[in-house]
Amino acid sequence: MTDPQVGMFMLGLFIFIIMLGFPIAFTLIAMGVGFGFYAYYTPGQPILDNRIFSLLVQKTFEVTSNDVLTAVPLFLFMGYVVERANILDRLFRSLQIAAKNVPGSLAVATLLTCAMFATATGIVGAVVTLMGLLAFPAMLRAGYDVKLSAGVVCAGGCLGILIPPSILLIVYAATAGISAVKLYAAAMIPGFLLASLYVVYVIGRAILNPALCPKLPAEETNVPLAEVVRTLLTSFFPLAALILSVLGAILLGLATPSEAAGAGALASLVLAAAYGALNFTMLRDSVFLTARATAMVCYLFIGSWTFASVFALLGGQGVIERFFLGLNLSPTMFLIFTQAIIFLLGWPLEWTEIIIIFVPIFLPLLDNFGIDPIFFGILVALNTQTAFNTPPVAMAAFYLKGVAPPHVTLADIFKGALPFVFMVFLSMALVYIFPGLALWLPDYLYTPR
Amino acid sequence: MTRFLFFIDSLSAWVGKAFAWLILVLTFGVSYEVFVRYVLGRPTTWAFDMSYINYGALFLMAGAYTLSRNGHVRADVVYRFWRPRMQASMDLALYILFFLPAVVAFMYSGWLYAGASIQFREVSIFSPAGVPVFPLKALIPVTGALLLCQGVAEVIRCILCIRSGRWPQRLHDVEEIEAQLLREREAGAAEPSAHEGTGV
Repeated sequence: MTDPQVGMFMLGLFIFIIMLGFPIAFTLIAMGVGFGFYAYYTPGQPILDNRIFSLLVQKTFEVTSNDVLTAVPLFLFMGYVVERANILDRLFRSLQIAAKNVPGSLAVATLLTCAMFATATGIVGAVVTLMGLLAFPAMLRAGYDVKLSAGVVCAGGCLGILIPPSILLIVYAATAGISAVKLYAAAMIPGFLLASLYVVYVIGRAILNPALCPKLPAEETNVPLAEVVRTLLTSFFPLAALILSVLGAILLGLATPSEAAGAGALASLVLAAAYGALNFTMLRDSVFLTARATAMVCYLFIGSWTFASVFALLGGQGVIERFFLGLNLSPTMFLIFTQAIIFLLGWPLEWTEIIIIFVPIFLPLLDNFGIDPIFFGILVALNTQTAFNTPPVAMAAFYLKGVAPPHVTLADIFKGALPFVFMVFLSMALVYIFPGLALWLPDYLYTPR
Repeated sequence: MTRFLFFIDSLSAWVGKAFAWLILVLTFGVSYEVFVRYVLGRPTTWAFDMSYINYGALFLMAGAYTLSRNGHVRADVVYRFWRPRMQASMDLALYILFFLPAVVAFMYSGWLYAGASIQFREVSIFSPAGVPVFPLKALIPVTGALLLCQGVAEVIRCILCIRSGRWPQRLHDVEEIEAQLLREREAGAAEPSAHEGTGV
C-alpha cells in the first residue's frame, strides 16, 4: 500500500472503531501513535527512537498551552455555577408574567428563558432537563399542545451553544486557528436571528391556531405592573448584566475571551452568593464537573491534533483535497455538500466530535473556494443545533423524554422539534444569502478606519 | 478484585479532584489580571503563563478521573443498544489493543520530554517573567501513569461485567444535573453503564 492509501485506511478504520463506541479521544491517540509509528519508521531504527513519540508529546503540550482553550474551563465553571444559582425559577416566572399579553405567552417565555439561561451556562443537557421539569409541565397544565411545548424546550435549550459566549465557538476558533473574538462577533446576529425565528414561529402558530396555546386563566396573568418590574429587576437583569458584561468586554476588544471568562466566572460566584445559593456543596460540585468536562474536551484535542498530523503526514489530507477539487464543485455546491455531511454526522455524533475531528478535514479546503473560515464556522454552529434534535442521538429529545410525564412519547418530541430544525435550515439559508448577517459586525468592530 | 478496582478509582478521583480546585486559582488569577490591567493600567507579566499552566494541569490530571466516571465521550449510537456483556467484550478488546499501548506511549514520550525540561529547569517562553514551566511538563508522564492505572481498572471492570453479565457499580460521585434528574426519575430501571455524557 502507498502512504496515501494507508492514510485513507486509517480514516476508514477510525470511523469503524468509533462506531463500536470506544472513548473517542483514546481511539484518536492510539491510532495516531500506531499509524504515526508506521509513517516515521525507517528500517534499522531502534523502536523507541521513533519520532511519533515526540510528536505526541508536542501536541499534548500545544493543547495545554493554547491561549484560546484556556477559556474553556472558565466558561464551563461559570456555567455550572449559574446552573446552581437558584435563578431559573425566578427567571422563568418573571419572563412569564412579562410576556403575559403575547400570544402563546408561556411558550414564548420558555423560549426566552431557555435562550438566556443557556447563553449564560452554555450547557445543553441541564437546560433541557431543568426546563423540562419547570416549564414543560406548566405548559401542559395550561393546555398547550404537547408537540409544540416539547419543541420549544428542546430547541430553546440548545441555543446556548450558538449564542456567544458559547464554548462551541471557542472550540471552533481553536480548531481553525482563527480569532475567537471575531467569531463571537460574527455569531451575535445569527444567534439572535435564530432565537427570533423561533419566537416568531411560536407566536405565528399561536395566532393561527389559538387552540394550541390557550390563554392563561386571569388569576395567573393579573399581576400588577410594579410586581412585573420587581421580578424582572431581581432575576432577568442581573443575569442579563452578567452576560452582557462578559460579551461586551470581549466584543469591544477590552478583554480576551479567557479574561472575560475568568471575570464572568467570578461574577457568577457573586451572583450565586446574592441569590443565597453559594455554599460548599455547590462549589465543590461545580469544580469537579468543570474538571471532568474540560478533560473530555481537551483530551479530544490531544487525540485529534495527533491524529490529524499523522493523517496529513501519510498524505491522507492530500487525497481528500484532490478528491474535492476533482469534483469541480462551485463554492455554493461545496458549502451545501460539506454542510450536508456535517448535518448527517450530527445524527450519530455530538458537536464536540464534529467540530474537533471532522471540521478540520474541511478547513484546509476553504481557501480553494474562497470561503471565509469565520463564515463557515457560523454555518457549522447553526448546523450543529440540529444535532441535538435529530434521531438517533438526539440528546435534547432524550433528556426531555427522561423527565417528561409518561404519556409524552419520543415521537411527540421529535415531531415537535422538527419545525425548529427547519427554522435552523432557514437561518442557514438566510446567512448564506446575506453573508453580512455574520460578517458585518466583526468587520465593523475590528476593521481599523 | 473489586477492592483493587475501587482503590484505583479513588486514586484517580482523588488526584483529579485535587487538581480540579485549580479552577479557583485560575478564576481569581485571571480576574486579578483583568483588574490590574484594565482598572489600574499595570498589567502583570505572568498572567498568561499562570493561566495556561493552571488550565493545563487541571485538565491533564482530570483525565484518569474522567475515565473512572466513564466521562470521555463515546459515539454510543450502536453501543447503547448492546447487552452489557457485549459492551464489555468490545471495550475489553479495545482497551487492550488501543488504550493501553497508547497510554504507555504517552507515558514514555512524556517521560523523555519532562526529563529534558526538568534537567535545565525550563521556564516559559511566553513572557520575560521566567515562570517555571517544567512542573507542568513533569505532569505529562504522571498523567500517563494515572491513565495506565485507570486503564487497568477499566479492564478489570470489563472482566467483571463479562463474568456476571452486568456492569459493576461505580463509586458514588457528583453527577451532571441532567444525569441526576434522569436517574431520580427512573430510579431502579437505571443502567449504570450508559455513558454519562457531559451535556456541554
